[in-house]
Parts: sequence; C-alpha cells; structure tokens
Amino acid sequence: MARYGTAAHLDMEWVEDWARKVNEDRVLRVIGRFFTANFVIGIEDKDYLIVVREGRIQRVADGLSPNMMGWQFALRAPVGSWAKFVQPVPPPMYNDIWAMAHPIHGKLKIEGDTKPFWQNLRALSWMLAIMRQV
Amino acid sequence: MAKFDPIVGRYVYVQCGGETYRTYYEENGEGIPLVCLHTAGTDGREWRHQLCDPDIAQSFRVIAFDLPRHGKSIPPGDFYKEEEEYKLTAKFYADFIVAFCRALELKKPAVMGSSMGGSICLHLALDYEDEFSAFIAIEACDRSAGWWIDPLHHPHIHGGEVCATAVFGLMAPQSPDEYRWETWWYYAQGGPGIFKGDLYFYSVDHDFRDLCRKISGRVPMYLMTGVYDFACTPEMTEQTANKIKNSECIIMQDIGHFPMSEHPVGFKEYLTPVLKKILQADSQDRRPADRGAAMDRSRGGRDDQRLRGGRDRGVTIDEDRGSSRDGGVRVVEFDTSGGKRTWR
Repeated sequence: MARYGTAAHLDMEWVEDWARKVNEDRVLRVIGRFFTANFVIGIEDKDYLIVVREGRIQRVADGLSPNMMGWQFALRAPVGSWAKFVQPVPPPMYNDIWAMAHPIHGKLKIEGDTKPFWQNLRALSWMLAIMRQV
Repeated sequence: MAKFDPIVGRYVYVQCGGETYRTYYEENGEGIPLVCLHTAGTDGREWRHQLCDPDIAQSFRVIAFDLPRHGKSIPPGDFYKEEEEYKLTAKFYADFIVAFCRALELKKPAVMGSSMGGSICLHLALDYEDEFSAFIAIEACDRSAGWWIDPLHHPHIHGGEVCATAVFGLMAPQSPDEYRWETWWYYAQGGPGIFKGDLYFYSVDHDFRDLCRKISGRVPMYLMTGVYDFACTPEMTEQTANKIKNSECIIMQDIGHFPMSEHPVGFKEYLTPVLKKILQADSQDRRPADRGAAMDRSRGGRDDQRLRGGRDRGVTIDEDRGSSRDGGVRVVEFDTSGGKRTWR
C-alpha cells in the first residue's frame, strides 16, 4: 500500500511516465483523434498541466507559467484520492473520475470549463485509466 | 446446426395514459412471471443472460420489455412535436409496468428491476402491491440525487459516448471487460435525451425518504446492491431497507450498478437464493412439479477475470523527450509527430 499512498510517488516523474504510456497507447489514437485540450491534474496542492493534441500528450508541466496560456478544465483531488484511483484494482468510489467527482461523493473537483471535459470523456477516461499501468 | 438463444421476442400494444404503445419484449421459461426492468437509457437486452439461463427458465417465465422510447419500443408518433423535453415520471413508469403486465395477462408476477427499475419497485410496492408477488430491487435506494444533468443531452457533446462513459465507472473493475463494454454499448445506443429524461425519474421524481415506511410489507422486497455502485451505495441501500417492512438487504461483492449485464455469473450467486425464496413462498397455482431443483445446479465458480493487469514499469523509452525550464516550471515535451521533432 505504501507504494500507492504518498504524494512523493505521484510526482512529476510519475506524470512523465504516465504521459509516455499514454502516447504508446494505440486505442487512444482512434478514440482520442479529436481530443485536443489543455487540462490540469491537481494532486493535493500541486498542479500539473497536461497539453493534449489529437489524443496524445504533447507536453506536461509541473506548474503553470504565463507562457502556457491557461487550461480549460482541472481535475483536482487530495493525494489520497488519486492514490486510490491509480491502484491496479481501485476500491469502490475511487475507480472512476466521475465516481470521485459525483456530487454525492466529492472526492475530486472538476473545475473550469466542464464542456470539453464531457465532450472528451471517453478518451479522457481511457487516458486516466492508463495511470494504473505506470 | 446453428446455435440459437432460447429467447423469443414479440410486440404487444400497451395502453397507458391515453396512448397506445407498441412495446417490444423478450421472454423465455415457464412458471412464475418474472418481469425484468432495464436501467435508465437502455433496454431489455441487459437481461439476456438471465433470459437464457435454463436454471431460471425452469421455474420462471422471464420477461424483459423495452419501455417506450427505448430499444425496439418506438416513441409516440408525435414525439417530434413535444414542447417539453422528455422526462420519465414515477406515475407513468409505474402505470406502464402495471399496464404491460395486464396486457400480457400475467398473474401476480414478480418484478426484478435494476437502478431506476429497482427504484420503481418501491413505488409499485406502495401503490400496486395487490398486482405483484415479489420485488427484487437491484441497485435501489430511497433517493439518488445528482444524475439529472445537461451534459448527458447537449448538442455539443456526443450523447452516446458520454452517456455510456458516464456509467462505465459504475461497474466493478472485477467484472469481465467483455460484459462491461457490452453494457457501455447498450448505453451508447440510447435515443437522444432518453437517458437524461429517465434520470429525471431516478434523481428528481423518485424521493422515497419519507414514503418507505408506508410500504405495507405484504409483498416481500429484496434489495440487492453491488459494492462498486457509486450512485446507490451499499450504505444508501441498507438505510432504505431498514425503513421497509419485510425487506432483505443483500450486498454484492465485486459487482457494480449493472449486476445482470456486467457480471452475470457473479450476480447469479446472489440471485439464486432470492429466486428460491420467491419460489418457496409463491402461493399461486402455476409451479412446475420439480420446482426449486434446478436452482441448486446454478452455483458455478466465480468468473474471476481480472480486468487490469499489474503495474508494469520498465517498458518506457524516453529518447524522444526533451525538457526545459519555463519561468521556474519544468516543461517536458513529447514527440507526437511520428518521429520528427522540432525544438523551439
């Protein structure tokens, strides 16, 4: 459990490893063909910018600088929520981004412009599930 | 010789609320009528495993219909002129179930419904208890808020993909991939606005927090919920069951919100004892002579297919990666162009 339970584990190196796995995925090239967006993965109080172009992660950054021109939506949760989400077999209520974000649970917040979040939910969910392979 | 499913499908004309609905249903088996209610935004195909199960078919006449606007049951002829968006109400839903059962001349059927089909069992128990012999309310609770939301029916959002993906996480990671994605497929095929409209009943019109205690308990109710259901959690089901007389609460491990379609083998382990009780308690003159015997054979091993493999580090290559600093922020770029890259 220790391996999955710390903010130190879910760091920039882990985000980079995940991005590489995402870019190796062959299904995303089909279902994510029109997924182009900038979004934020917020782990505890740390924001990671994810720049997605046509279903592939073009750039990640461990913070937000003026040159990045902002983001459309952010998925922010305590490290404990992300640590459960990324387990190979996640526990109930933490196995899905919408499960965590649903109003009756509130384990994760979807912030910003939520329309691109919903528009790309299929590819985004597939992309986030790849976190379990990192 | 070709392989066939034992399911037979037909259309019946059902009168409800001044309209006549050409209603599709499928059935198999003989014995106690067991009317199966699909979840929001989908259709009776969700019940195909139970419809095909010879152990169940030996003692039950399993029937699954498609609500109007779902599956093969077309909407009213003037749906395109409706001046209000589609919203399923508790009254129409309950009335339609009763009208369907009467149209087929079913004698004291048992009802097995999931999600909104489970929620409506509470209404049937309160308003129509004389019509039914048992309720199996799957993934049901007295109230499940937060699902009547616009992203599920919006012209800028692919309705099929968003409805299907919004419910995908309701299924357990332990359920077989094949059946989880089949359930996803059913959701992707709903008519525009139908899932959202059904959720008007599920999340808004259905509020039994104070009404549960008014159910007489003359008809037994079995509430069955999977631990991965985040819309109707085990705790929500237990609290509901505590308020309903003559009810039993069954929590299902390694199962989510769609037991019948996401994990039919796992679900059968929990369903079999419930069906046995319904058989034993049935007082109508319709039972096959060897009732109950078939149910003993139905306990198979759990389908333990794991969905997600173990964690695998050590494959990634990062030779195409470049990194830089941007105002104190580390930026890492990936080559997404298929080999060539240009550094700024």
